[in-house]
Amino acid sequence: MKTEEKLSPFHSVILIHMIQTGVALFSLPRVLAVQFGTNGWLAVFLFGAIVAIHIWLMSYVYRHSGGRSIFDILEQSIPKFVLSPVYIGLICVWAMLCCLVSKEYILIFKMVAFPTTNPMIFELVVNLLTLWLLGMGVYNIAKAATVFFWFVIWMVFLLTFFYGEFRWARLTPFVFQGGELKMKELYSIYAAFFGYELVLLLFPYANPQTKLMRAAMAGNGLTVAVYLYTCLIAFGFFSLQQLKEMLFPVLDLLAYIKLPFIERIENLLYGFFLFTILITAVMYVWSAKEVSRRMFPRIKGGVLGFIILTLAYLVSYIPDVLSEVLDWLQIFSVIEFWIAFGLPALVGLVLLVQRRRGQPSNG
Amino acid sequence: MGNRFAVCLSLLTMAALSGCGDQRILEKVGFTQTTSYDLLPDGRLKIAVAIPKADPEAELSRQLLTTTALSSKEARINLSRQTNLILVSGQMRNTLYGLSLAKSGLWNHIDTLMRDPSISPQVKVTVVNGDAESLLKKNYEQHPRTGKYIDRLLEKEAQEQAVPKVTLYEFARNYFDDGVDPVAPIVKDDGDSVIVDGIALFRDDKYAGRIEPGDSIIFALLERDFKKGEISIELAGEEGKKEIVMFSSLISSRKVEVGHGDAGTRTVNINVDVKGSILEYIGRLKLSDDANRHELERKISEHLSSRGNQLVGMMQEKGTDSLGIGMYVRNSMSYAAWKKLNWREEFPDVQVKCNIHVKIKDYGKFR
Repeated sequence: MKTEEKLSPFHSVILIHMIQTGVALFSLPRVLAVQFGTNGWLAVFLFGAIVAIHIWLMSYVYRHSGGRSIFDILEQSIPKFVLSPVYIGLICVWAMLCCLVSKEYILIFKMVAFPTTNPMIFELVVNLLTLWLLGMGVYNIAKAATVFFWFVIWMVFLLTFFYGEFRWARLTPFVFQGGELKMKELYSIYAAFFGYELVLLLFPYANPQTKLMRAAMAGNGLTVAVYLYTCLIAFGFFSLQQLKEMLFPVLDLLAYIKLPFIERIENLLYGFFLFTILITAVMYVWSAKEVSRRMFPRIKGGVLGFIILTLAYLVSYIPDVLSEVLDWLQIFSVIEFWIAFGLPALVGLVLLVQRRRGQPSNG
Repeated sequence: MGNRFAVCLSLLTMAALSGCGDQRILEKVGFTQTTSYDLLPDGRLKIAVAIPKADPEAELSRQLLTTTALSSKEARINLSRQTNLILVSGQMRNTLYGLSLAKSGLWNHIDTLMRDPSISPQVKVTVVNGDAESLLKKNYEQHPRTGKYIDRLLEKEAQEQAVPKVTLYEFARNYFDDGVDPVAPIVKDDGDSVIVDGIALFRDDKYAGRIEPGDSIIFALLERDFKKGEISIELAGEEGKKEIVMFSSLISSRKVEVGHGDAGTRTVNINVDVKGSILEYIGRLKLSDDANRHELERKISEHLSSRGNQLVGMMQEKGTDSLGIGMYVRNSMSYAAWKKLNWREEFPDVQVKCNIHVKIKDYGKFR
């Protein structure tokens, strides 16, 4: 019964959007201001377009995969011992991304609300939640993502709160002036869009009705829209130089909100972001688990997930302050960037070779 | 099922217990409401905090602690030694800076406040004409506790445009912007009350001058769009007689136009449209008569425009672009040209013209 279930188009859109949205949003306006200078928010378009092109390229792979998983395709033409190091690499990177993303979130939370509590306790709680969600399988994760989506997306309306102080004059008519482009930082901007590449692993869980690639496009479109709106508000609300000095401008935006009956609600609002972090984290560890099942087909998925999360949790003990976590994330973002481009390229290439040789595309 | 329940329970327990690390129990916490900063002649800071008391049995409604220190965070440690409460700044509403400190620069203190994640960006920045600590220390019998009193006073006055609303966010934003200088409201002790004493103009973060309370509304007209506000005007009438107009419920919108002359000269026109009701008029004109009313509109417009020009002239003299004219000049030129321009030096020489145009919406229920 269960194996016949397929992802619905709407759930897939939301799932992709929820994997993409994460902690990177908190610093995004600042990074854009530092890198691009005036009207840096426009750069969201550029990055969104790169992602869109990339998804379009992946749709080639999807069309010719015939619904097979990318691992089936790879293993058909490449011997397993050659693939093993690639698989191990993927497991490591995705497992680490899962833990680093949640750890960054927790360290920010700790800075704001619980300055002296050991963050690893929170990390453990979040990891347990992740593990629990992981055990439910990808269909239920997608459904959970849809529920979580409604918990988070309403916050976009909070941005109307800033219309009063927003000034177009503050945006200046200059486009991309006074920034310093650094390759390293560009990766971290791109990292705010990461997550769409995991669509590669969803092939076997979709059918033609899912319109998986269109869903990925729409999910990315939604992410771009939310980022664009948030960054536009930040650029018109803060002055450029101020924005460059703020570590987490979106957190400052949240802190500014003051209702007649309550203020300083940023901790509460920040709490809602846990939902997006949870989906991001669970999908990365799910991906790592999917890969590891290829390597250890005899061990049950749940056990593999547990082992991966435990190992990643132990490794995430090493970077223990925010700046270290950010450094680690930077490194893993660069690796993930190349995985996001390299993996579909590899699969595409293999597919091309298989088609040339006339091998069946339907396994 | 049982398994799931166990997981749920353990998660809940852990989530709840992890909160025990950083406890805040209401009765044990002292919420700083207002902090005052003064610069002492020896370069040290005199810092005072006002803490409202939660204890209903306490005789005094607030605690006031004072210390001297080199920095505000060092002061917090000193202050903490004087009290049984854990001092926290999460509910801080206002910061008062003595004139002595404002003259030597505020940025270091604002930076400290912005850096602390427990402090809201909506904390007000206020300059005290005189000694901030003695203002905060004083009890004003007819009014609420001093900290709360000043906070509410400023909030209400800001709603009516008598002072600009200036919080850490606004101060920092304008401090960093290259086309505008920060401002802050000034208050002073007036015997039985605290009184708003105009607007402090800053050059970067240093106090450079002030706008008289009577001109605050003119500043508001030139600085932003607003609804709600009032102004009392004294017009020169015929035969040396004065005419008095009270213009209320103002709705104002402004536009800034920048023109570039051939020889590199710049002209700035600040065009303001104000609509309002007349609540008081003592003079010879008949308000129900259209021609008379238009004449009055013209007279008020001229009067306000000339006061606007004077105000801008004063700011140019002090070298503080508190109206943000630089923002509009910047936006009218290329990025390279703006970067080459030293706006600070250029600003006093720019020709600024205020055109305030007044329209009388209504004149009350009397002809």
